[in-house]
Amino acid sequence: MRELKKSLIALNILLVFVAVFIALSVGPTKIDGFFQQLMQPGSNEILWQIRFPRVIAAVIVGAAFGVAGLMAQGASNNALAEPSILGTSSGAALGAVIAILFGLAQVGSIAATISGVIGALLATALTLKLASLRGNLSSFALIIVGIALSATLSAIVGLTSAMITQADARSISFWNFGSLALITYENLVGVAATTLIGLGIAWKVAPSLDRLSFGDDTAFHLGINVVKARWLALVALSLLAGGAVSTVGIIGFIGLAAPHIARFIYGPSHRLLVIQSALIGSLIIVFADTLARSIAAPNELSIGLITSLLGAPILIALVSIKNNVWRVQ
Amino acid sequence: MITINEITIVRDGRELIYDYSEQIPAGSITVITGPNGCGKSTLLAAIAGDFPPDKGTITIDGIHPILTSAHDLSKIRAVAKQNQLYSLGFSVREVIEMGGKPDEIIRLLGLEHLANRLVTTLSVGEAQRVSIAQAIAQKTPVLILDEPFAAQDNENRGRVVTVLQQLAREGVTVVVVAHSSEQELTWADKVIKQFL
Repeated sequence: MRELKKSLIALNILLVFVAVFIALSVGPTKIDGFFQQLMQPGSNEILWQIRFPRVIAAVIVGAAFGVAGLMAQGASNNALAEPSILGTSSGAALGAVIAILFGLAQVGSIAATISGVIGALLATALTLKLASLRGNLSSFALIIVGIALSATLSAIVGLTSAMITQADARSISFWNFGSLALITYENLVGVAATTLIGLGIAWKVAPSLDRLSFGDDTAFHLGINVVKARWLALVALSLLAGGAVSTVGIIGFIGLAAPHIARFIYGPSHRLLVIQSALIGSLIIVFADTLARSIAAPNELSIGLITSLLGAPILIALVSIKNNVWRVQ
Repeated sequence: MITINEITIVRDGRELIYDYSEQIPAGSITVITGPNGCGKSTLLAAIAGDFPPDKGTITIDGIHPILTSAHDLSKIRAVAKQNQLYSLGFSVREVIEMGGKPDEIIRLLGLEHLANRLVTTLSVGEAQRVSIAQAIAQKTPVLILDEPFAAQDNENRGRVVTVLQQLAREGVTVVVVAHSSEQELTWADKVIKQFL
């Protein structure tokens, strides 16, 4: 079993490498002598200054959104939870937009990433607080409150971004639908750091999330500090989603789809799911971004459209094959 | 030895348990019975350290559960609650393994044929036995079971009782809540009747 798990992880890593390779080779501009240019870092400007940081960003934010969704679902023990539904993503966007409005940060800067993470954490904590005002955290209240708070925060993002006059502030469609179009190497630093730390915390808290799926009281009986485990997962969620959203905007659906696809294929163990949700998230975003920039080249499509088109049929197919992976109580 | 010392527990403005004291001896099976709503499960949860009583104290071998960390407490007492629900599709073996070593208890409770089944596909009675197995696998000196026989047929009820008796002989303090309709409690060392 352990060998099989290792093989499946190796297979997915290989698939991500293949996807990266295809993504680097495809684009509106044909790169002559692609293999030669690939062997010589810095040789071709389009390959090394435009496509390479963009594809690496796709790998990083794909992993971040995938595991953020896993943390959201694990912490709330709710199959419908994901960063966009818990208010995390719109909180991150608002945090970054406010920092940009007040001239404290630029899009993709480390300062914007930090503001995004703080916004994500505050919004998620607010959703949880409002959803548990009447005692226990109810799944119904969590989703309703999360959707309502997301809508409110997104509206404020829209209003705030309309007030920003800086040329590089990005549009409302960037914050709501996401784009990897203007990524530079400098932009990767902050999101790489938050993603790495977020993945580390997610790995650490994963065994507790396995036990949290039995309910808070049984998790406590098994020795889990439920409040601490939930907070750790929410910090991981906020780092992952906050860093990704402040760099590429909100790419919806991937946070829901990646962990569910991983769970259908590899089972519910959270340690394994941290790895596989990250790899599946990366795979989907790398493919989606490649399609987004090449289907209607030289125009770009919104990446959110493609992630939905890619992820939804896979998810629907898996649910129809196997529906006992998550039993909703 | 579990010592309950003058506890009062208030729920929704009602005194469910008032100024109650009891001693539950080590290495024995103690059954708490009584009608619905009399506070059996509440008393059990208080012993398990789920919440502090409104007045009085509960100690397990001199240790206060509510002052003990979740991790340390899981080495002292294990709990199988009533109506355990499983949302994620772990296998039966994986779930029991989260309590401790699974093989022996799987055999003793006759769960071999279920070991590789997903817990999301189990009947209520099967899920209850998995929950009991997980608690026993923790190998703690105190074992707390809330209505473990509610959904069991006679054969499985007998299996659970046999395992509990064996554990008590080995020195485990077993506390069980059973519905007042439980007729035969001959296997219990002590029966505590709770009244409304």
